[in-house]
Amino acid sequence: MVKINVLQHAPSSHLPARPGDPTPTSRNLDPLMHPFARARERTRALNAAKMERMFAKPFVASLEGHVDAVETMARKPDTLDIVASGSWDGGLILHDVSRRKRLFQVDNAHKGKVSGVCFGQQGRLLSCGVDRNIKLWDTEASLDDDDFGAGPSQRKPVSIFPGKFAFNSIDHHRYDPLFATASNLVQVWDETKSAAISNLTLPTSTETVTAIRFNLAEASVLASIGSDRSFTLYDIRTGKAERRIIMQMRSNALSWSPTFPTSVLLASEDHNLYTFDIRSLNTPTQIYKAHVAAVMSCDWSPTGLEFVSGGWDRTVRIWKEGRGSAPEVYHTKRMQRVMSTLFTGDSRFVLSGSDDGNVRVWKAHASDKLGIITARERAAIEYRESLKSRWKADSEVSKISRTRHLPKPVHKASQLKRTMLEAQRVKEERRRKHTRAGEHKPKAERKKVVITEHS
Amino acid sequence: MDSLIAKADAIRPLSKRRRTDNQHARPKPGPSKKTTADDPTAASVSQHTALPRSLRPSSPPPEEAKKYSHIHNKKLRTDLARQSAQNARSKRLVKDAELLLTEEAGLMEVDGDLEKTWRVGQDEIAAAAGQQAAQGRQEWKLDGGPYRVRYTKNGRHIAIVGKTGHVATFDWQAGTMHAELQLRETCRDITFLQDHSHFAVAQNKYVFIYDRDGVELHKLKSHIEPTRLEFLPYHWLLVSVGNAGYLKYQDTSTGQLVVEHRTKLGACHTMCQNPHNAVIHLGHQNGTVTLWTPNLPHPAVRLLAHLGPVASVSVDPSSAGRYMATAGQDGTVKVWDCRNWKGAIRTWNARGGNAVIDWSQKGALSVATGGSVNVYTKPAIQTPFAPVVAPPLYLTHPVPHRPLSSLRFCPFQDILTIGHSKGVSGILVPGVGEPNFDSSEADPFENKKARREREVKSLLDKIQPDAIVLDPDFIGSLAPPPKLSTAVDGQHDIPYARLPRHERLKVSGKADETEDGDEDDTSDGQGGEGDGQARKGASKAEKEKKKMRGKNKTLKRFLRKQRKNVIDPRAVAVRAKLEKEREERRKAKAIASGAEQPRKPSALDRFKRSS
Repeated sequence: MVKINVLQHAPSSHLPARPGDPTPTSRNLDPLMHPFARARERTRALNAAKMERMFAKPFVASLEGHVDAVETMARKPDTLDIVASGSWDGGLILHDVSRRKRLFQVDNAHKGKVSGVCFGQQGRLLSCGVDRNIKLWDTEASLDDDDFGAGPSQRKPVSIFPGKFAFNSIDHHRYDPLFATASNLVQVWDETKSAAISNLTLPTSTETVTAIRFNLAEASVLASIGSDRSFTLYDIRTGKAERRIIMQMRSNALSWSPTFPTSVLLASEDHNLYTFDIRSLNTPTQIYKAHVAAVMSCDWSPTGLEFVSGGWDRTVRIWKEGRGSAPEVYHTKRMQRVMSTLFTGDSRFVLSGSDDGNVRVWKAHASDKLGIITARERAAIEYRESLKSRWKADSEVSKISRTRHLPKPVHKASQLKRTMLEAQRVKEERRRKHTRAGEHKPKAERKKVVITEHS
Repeated sequence: MDSLIAKADAIRPLSKRRRTDNQHARPKPGPSKKTTADDPTAASVSQHTALPRSLRPSSPPPEEAKKYSHIHNKKLRTDLARQSAQNARSKRLVKDAELLLTEEAGLMEVDGDLEKTWRVGQDEIAAAAGQQAAQGRQEWKLDGGPYRVRYTKNGRHIAIVGKTGHVATFDWQAGTMHAELQLRETCRDITFLQDHSHFAVAQNKYVFIYDRDGVELHKLKSHIEPTRLEFLPYHWLLVSVGNAGYLKYQDTSTGQLVVEHRTKLGACHTMCQNPHNAVIHLGHQNGTVTLWTPNLPHPAVRLLAHLGPVASVSVDPSSAGRYMATAGQDGTVKVWDCRNWKGAIRTWNARGGNAVIDWSQKGALSVATGGSVNVYTKPAIQTPFAPVVAPPLYLTHPVPHRPLSSLRFCPFQDILTIGHSKGVSGILVPGVGEPNFDSSEADPFENKKARREREVKSLLDKIQPDAIVLDPDFIGSLAPPPKLSTAVDGQHDIPYARLPRHERLKVSGKADETEDGDEDDTSDGQGGEGDGQARKGASKAEKEKKKMRGKNKTLKRFLRKQRKNVIDPRAVAVRAKLEKEREERRKAKAIASGAEQPRKPSALDRFKRSS
């Protein structure tokens, strides 16, 4: 007796039951049914990498209004997109980034440049300048009348705090009505008192303090950087300098990490950025190398996973925390030296203020799509992301996602820099080889950064 | 400041920081390790921040996951290990997913040894088959010479071509004709392109491409007198071989002729593709079978298969292209293992010679010789067997219309279609078709929209012709370990490219080291036999003699002397290591021979530095 069964597919299980129904699909995960799975996936990864570069259009908008270099910018706490900027011409503007409007504008807030802005309590704005004054502005009043060109340019500040020296930087305490300023000395002020309540400085130092920031977790801790290549930590409760390091080169800007309380980022004159953990200040936790000129400004993303830096080389770079090379780089033909950079509160956009007087808005991720994204689109984007990360070791995929077009001067400068560093390294190596063994030990790059540490 | 540090310690203690610097400054891990349990902040936080158990890194990786312990870069090693663990887990999940395959495969079984499946005729099978399945038993009586047949990838559409130019394509399940053409010239082969919307015909002089309705779209003038056609669906390549013996690859998505290879083996009438690596197998008049890829100007494999012209070649799709069957005009059928070409696995004589063969999706081999078609099934044809005897027969079917020119199994069906001189006939062979199709690859029931969608998707996923190699897993696999190593004590210090020139030469074994003076030190003291040393001495003298020849020897001597003065820490380290090993060996030898006492353990050993 023969048992016979011939394969047949029931059309009812493979065709839609009614017109308009979705067609049923069937799956067979046997690898024999999917030949060239890896090669096809690689092609897809390659396409994903190419698409990312094709859609990389990071520039969003340019906010005009200043007539000279934008020296400083500050984000209003508890908002996503309200940003104040101060310029070399003494102008002060409050931008609404999402609507690209000026909420508040003072043309001659200070004589000479505005060197620092920060937000105080109840939406009030503090600005300091080289004219030895700190001014407190009330911006809320003008928020009601919604005229684009901003109101009369002769606004009066709420109060003026006169100082003895030109100010370089200002930062407000997170909870209390206190603020600190940097000039030849570090001073702490009360919003209600017209004179500084205390001077925090080392007795022996004759430096000029260039920037100052309160810690975000422990609001009484204050960090400053100075022109004598120092980085100093103060506690305003004790009124003393607690720690201090002297580095190889001076820093231009600093920023506290919003998520990790002891991590601080320094933008240095030697083209690098450094993150320090203040629990051990003798070495940086990471060196970030890519700029080809001094780094002028830096700011953390609110997520603490990224930060942005702007440099004298006319580029803005966005770094991943802990990854010391190959940052995202933004540039345009007309953007000059970048003096200030800022992340917005939703960490989707980056602002850069440059020598040409514009505040530019960039996407934090160059190929992000703005606007509403459907679920299918989101799924496709996520699939492409995972493909790229899975095939990142493939030479072609990595080459496409790594390569950035740089302006010729920047490219040439980086070439030159590489050559010089290589020559230095070779020379060092040769010198070591021709001295007695053990006499001339190579020094790790991290250990070269800090010269001395006082505590 | 202290409260700030306490806050940071609760998130990530300083000792957990990435290992960067000052190894001596940090406390060494050991019994005296300070725990953070006494820190009240950390204890209060840790309750709320624990990962779920399934996501914790301690969940054990599967045993089959690779460890990659030879990779030095820790980050990369962790990544690779995680990836392989992921792969192993997903492989297990695939096994579970087999439960979801719902369709039932065909089969033909007999009870007892006396009954044979090959005694069962087509009438009996057709009677036992369901109504839908019985459609596959067909006889199309057609004029116009021996016919050749080809199915689309999903098995829904069939194209036939007669020797004298009768071409027809139709949906055999629905019974609708797409195109019928009388080309009035010799046609030798036909193939569908990406789906049934285009097909290519090898005509008397050129290859022509027609669309579904039979409208001539292209005349491919570069393919002259083609005899056989193949289409590589994942690379979008149309491959033809002709009477002149040129193998040509044409990209049908861009229209470019990718490459043409001169086989130098004369006219070729036999071609098939390996569906798992897209390698083209050609059978030649002198009995050789050659395997071709677009990026090699010569065959990747050349194999003398038969003592006469090769009549037919086919590759087994059920074993990922591991087996190849060839039939020759000398009357033999041979099955080969594509990983090891040393002789055929199994050989048998097919009566009548000049057989046509084809493998099915499930690995059944059909052989058409003389006036009948025989089908053999899997384990018997692939197990090595020395005697020249045909494997046990599964099914046989006589076809009275000689010659039988073409055999094709229909994908996803139990149907074998035979092209012969009086037309085309289809027979039912239970159990040879894959029952479960995958809609993303080939779907017999797909509608117009799905077909269009799939066409666009497959164009986006088109693989470049260069990627065709014998091993399809080559893409995405790890590079082999480098042959040159500058390792000292298992640590890679300086990469090869950054070594100075002399070091590089030394590592690659091309350095001139005759007068370095360290020869005796660095050479291994083990092989201290007299004759060996004499040989070495002789070779040394010889080399020295050679060295004296040529110009500029003062400069060379000067350079050699300079080289000797350089104290290279690497060389010093190697020398010290060798010295130490030699000392240990000498000690061990002395202890073995009894000349020395083994060292007794002492109480002071605990203070000894382990190095």
